[in-house]
Amino acid sequence: MKTLVKLEIIRTVRNKRFMFFSVIYPSALFMLIAGPAKNDTAIGGTGLTMPLYYMVAMASFGALTAVLMGNSERIAKEREKGWVRQLRLTSLPGRGYVIAKIASAATVTLPSIVMVQIVAAAFKGVRLDAWQWGALTVSIWAGSLVFAALGVAIGYMASGDAVRPLTMLVYFALSILGGLWMPFTIFPHWLQETAKWLPTHPYTALGQAIELGNAPHVKDMAILAAYLVIFVGAAAWLYRKDTRKA
Amino acid sequence: MAKLYAMSATAAPTSASTPPPKRDTGTPVVRFSGVNKSYGQVKAVQELHLNLHSGETVALLGPNGAGKSTTLDLLLGLRNADSGTVEVFGSTPARAIARGKVGAMLQSGGLMEEVKVRELVKLACDLHPRAYPVEKVMQSAGVQDIADRMVNKLSGGQEQRVRFALATAGASDLIILDEPTTGMDVTVRQAFWAKMREQAAQGRTVLFATHYLEEADAIADRVIVLHRGRILADGSAAEIKAKAGARRIVFDLEGPIDEAALRGLPSLTTLSVSGRTVRIQSTDADATTHAIYGLGLYPRNLEVSGLGLEQAFIAITDAATAEEAAR
Repeated sequence: MKTLVKLEIIRTVRNKRFMFFSVIYPSALFMLIAGPAKNDTAIGGTGLTMPLYYMVAMASFGALTAVLMGNSERIAKEREKGWVRQLRLTSLPGRGYVIAKIASAATVTLPSIVMVQIVAAAFKGVRLDAWQWGALTVSIWAGSLVFAALGVAIGYMASGDAVRPLTMLVYFALSILGGLWMPFTIFPHWLQETAKWLPTHPYTALGQAIELGNAPHVKDMAILAAYLVIFVGAAAWLYRKDTRKA
Repeated sequence: MAKLYAMSATAAPTSASTPPPKRDTGTPVVRFSGVNKSYGQVKAVQELHLNLHSGETVALLGPNGAGKSTTLDLLLGLRNADSGTVEVFGSTPARAIARGKVGAMLQSGGLMEEVKVRELVKLACDLHPRAYPVEKVMQSAGVQDIADRMVNKLSGGQEQRVRFALATAGASDLIILDEPTTGMDVTVRQAFWAKMREQAAQGRTVLFATHYLEEADAIADRVIVLHRGRILADGSAAEIKAKAGARRIVFDLEGPIDEAALRGLPSLTTLSVSGRTVRIQSTDADATTHAIYGLGLYPRNLEVSGLGLEQAFIAITDAATAEEAAR
């Protein structure tokens, strides 16, 4: 299984175009949205300034994009080409495949997260304590694994033409409702209450708590951990059960 | 090995009655009992009963759509049967695969892209519980020369060799090959057969699907003819040929030819006369030839030859199709 994890990471790194855009894209979006704002413009109800809010939002969004889109489409393609069929004729357990895919996704997200932070610090004067930088990187990176697993599951649930629309639907719903594009606090109360239970809300909440100088809330971590278990379980199950598509 | 070569070289008319090759009488390597599989209205496999025994080299022969790939998919647990049971080494296909008992090369099996051949073979070795060293696997599959090429830049025949390497990465007891020589030219195909024979000579059970009759004839010691999801014939290549009236007798006669007398020859299945040349197909060439002399005839340029498996195969499937139409 170690060889599979290593190979999946090598493949991702060799795919230079995918690597380049995945790493650059969140930083570019950050500059586009937070660039024009004053460094001390506060966002109502969050206690954070515009650059701080969007630094976490875009780092999370970039990670989400790379792992969700990357995984689901690549897996659907591999299924169509029959590679997954061949792999199922080995002794590899279902979770091995899922872990390898998550590992390759994590290879892309780490540099993209660090890049957003560098850009925010360099151009928008974001200043944090050393522990905060470290904790932000780790929490956003670790949280992205949840969505990588979701991407694997989607790649198995849908096939062929249905993959992209389904991924897009999940992606937009999660991004918007989780407050990655606009502050969560502008939503009506009932929507805020519902969206709290989506994985993206606790995901950004981790980063925001760290920026405010607090420890991440246990409840947010628990929700994310629960989603991780569900998504990995679903993905592994779908991998083993994939007897429909030739 | 001697048995394999003998099969293609001798097709004696008595072969139908020779005892079957020695088989392991223990648990069958593969057992299908009453297996059915349909795709909507299409019955891909119907009431399939099949046992494979240790050490056999078996060809699954049939035209496209005969149910070969479905049979292999069922055997490998890639599809589930609608009814009936499939056992591999006495357990489920999934469990046999997890224990590294089965190595398989699929027709529809894709390869991982953006990696080198060597990396992919290394992966297959890593995933096999009883793997061989990577270099040995590459050498015996004949892929050393393309070890550093990217997998997505290979030709069809090279891809097949890589698939073969993946199927033989470890000490599996059963090797499944689905149309392994597709996309290979003749010389490469011959070399590939030699690799397949090596696998069989190591005492493995080899099951391969093919529509190249030549391949079944040259390699397999047992041929299963599949047609429309059913087994039409199951025996040695020689037996299959015998089943279709598989000896051809050709000779010339001087003077007038009495067709009625010739038609009365024993074991004769077909007769055609053109000019002075008589062509006969017979299920027992010895008896037929003896009777020709018995008629007081003096055949010139007498030739007795085996019918190719191809003609035998056509004869068997045609008969089955006609039978179905009559019903």
